[in-house]
Amino acid sequence: MRVLLVEDDPHTAGFIAKGLREDGHAVDHAGNGKDGLFLATTERYDSIVLDRMLPGLDGLVVLQTLRGAGNRTPVLLLTALGEVDHRVEGLRAGADDYLVKPFAYAELSARLDSILRRGQAGGSEPTRLRVADLELDLLSREARRGDKRIELQPREFRLLEYLMRQAERVVTRTMLLEAVWDYHFDPQTNVIDVHISRLRQKIDQGHARPLLHTVRGAGYRLGA
Amino acid sequence: MRFVRARRMRLSLRSTSARLALAVTASFLLAFVLLGIGVHYAVSAMLTQDARELVRVDAAGLVEVYRDEGRAALLGELRERIATDEDPDAVYALTATDGRVVAGDYRDLPTHRQGARWIEFTEHGADGDLRVVAQLQRLSDGTTLLTGTRTRSQDRFLALMLRTALAALLVAATLGALIGWLTSRWVSRRLRHLDDTAVRVGSGELGLRARLDGSDDAFDRLARRFNGMLDRIEELLGGVRHATDHIAHDLRTPLTRLRNRLEELRRRQDADEAGTQLDAAIGETDQLLHSFGALLRLARIEAQPPVHDEPVLDLSELVRDAVELYTPIAAERGIALRANLAGSGETRLRGDADQLFQMLVNLLDNAVKYAPAASEVALSLQRERQALVVRVDDRGPGIPEADRERAFDRFQRMETHRGSPGTGLGLSLVRAIVQRHGGQIGLGDNVPGLRVTLVLPTEPSAR
Repeated sequence: MRVLLVEDDPHTAGFIAKGLREDGHAVDHAGNGKDGLFLATTERYDSIVLDRMLPGLDGLVVLQTLRGAGNRTPVLLLTALGEVDHRVEGLRAGADDYLVKPFAYAELSARLDSILRRGQAGGSEPTRLRVADLELDLLSREARRGDKRIELQPREFRLLEYLMRQAERVVTRTMLLEAVWDYHFDPQTNVIDVHISRLRQKIDQGHARPLLHTVRGAGYRLGA
Repeated sequence: MRFVRARRMRLSLRSTSARLALAVTASFLLAFVLLGIGVHYAVSAMLTQDARELVRVDAAGLVEVYRDEGRAALLGELRERIATDEDPDAVYALTATDGRVVAGDYRDLPTHRQGARWIEFTEHGADGDLRVVAQLQRLSDGTTLLTGTRTRSQDRFLALMLRTALAALLVAATLGALIGWLTSRWVSRRLRHLDDTAVRVGSGELGLRARLDGSDDAFDRLARRFNGMLDRIEELLGGVRHATDHIAHDLRTPLTRLRNRLEELRRRQDADEAGTQLDAAIGETDQLLHSFGALLRLARIEAQPPVHDEPVLDLSELVRDAVELYTPIAAERGIALRANLAGSGETRLRGDADQLFQMLVNLLDNAVKYAPAASEVALSLQRERQALVVRVDDRGPGIPEADRERAFDRFQRMETHRGSPGTGLGLSLVRAIVQRHGGQIGLGDNVPGLRVTLVLPTEPSAR
């Protein structure tokens, strides 16, 4: 996969580029908005990681110019400003996701995976999700593992649905919070972990092979 | 509360201009009355002077008759004058040496001071009481001649003048009151807009400006200065916000670098001693970044305008979600989370859902953190008239009364809680959110434990 990274801070850029390369992506780096815009319009990329505050040409302007020209490459916007209004502003300008600095590399990697997948998806929505012998029926809202039915609270259902849609990928706590709870807030303690461990009890208890894994320093992963 | 204060301000404003109008009217009337009294005295003195002049001439004529032709001629002249009644207002009297009146309109001389030359007295006649101005003259034979005139026409003139003046006074008083009322209305209208603007700007709508009418009068100039002042304040606040954004950017960047370096190192290490140390270091950095983020968020909420433009939402839904979010973590410690919510449809208010949810989460987090194991945390939401009341009760150690006000200060954590995790900004953030929603927060005793009470108006008033 080919990724364009537009970031003025050399350290952050190096850190991200290194991680992306380790993940097996090809990375082009631009140190300011003008070069970034030039690369984005002349080359083809699978995704763009764009800093919001850039010298010369602001990240938002770059994004708006790209979208104005009909370029639909998935964009992950990076910023040091974690406010909701900034977030809304960024998404309205055409960003596919928004990541507040500081972030762990795992967070960026997980989100980039998620927006790429969203870009590729399309077509019909599945009515049934399956990971190994775990099955989720989105119509009857039933969950089964093997032949055993699992009773889920509405929120647990949403949690599991999100994890299954992102099966085999790392999902961070922030991503869960944004996708499963409809509020943008700062969780004070490990509330999400407790919800996950409850869900884990329901789906993994009594099974030899656990499906819900904790990824140290990053988040969770559902998969065989 | 804001609402009450604003109304009181307007009332006192109105009464100030009413007092002003009253003062103007009163001084206007006082001036009129003083002037009227002055004119009255001047005119009546002038008229009396005229009457005396008349009497003096008349008396001089009579004294001449006496001197030239003797007492008998004077007596004859007087009797003839009294009989013919040539001048109905003239009065005469002549006494004998013993003071008895021998000829004249009076049987006795009116009582007077010994040696007085001019006397004034009132005559009770058929036409009512008449004022008389008279001159007394000692003739050479020791008798006294009284020559006088009734001031009938002068008195009539004065009475007419008084009536006219009173009518004018009535008209002036009415006009004065009317003009005073109009002036006070005009002044208070001009000031009210300024006052309203000040109240709303004070409560956070910094973009608002007073209306200018271009007349360049005192009010317009005041409004312009006022707007200039607001521009300056907004500029300064904008500068602060700008600086905050940049501090956020500039300080978080090196922190992020530090975190990234640690993470990179961590990726190379296995789960040995160094790896554990690195995990701890990353945790510390995250905590620092978290506190920093909370501080920035707090500053931003405090700078935000009140919630007039936010959508209406149902607070009980938020409470249910927050309780659901915290039930598992509470259950882990054996704490029961009990919610007592008012009926649906009663708990709507205007506000920012994310902030209100954050507020509930912070309160629940505190309660669950400090409640003893196997106790109960109760959350209630009730409607009381025009406000929603949220109560969060726990059975923890509570906060001593003396420390309650300080509990809202930034980084203020109770001594006993220093060891537990948290930024020390939770309650500061709750208070900032409550205040942005026009509400109030209070800490009380749940005997034992802490009771947090929030009062949020359902429709935060602009004025």
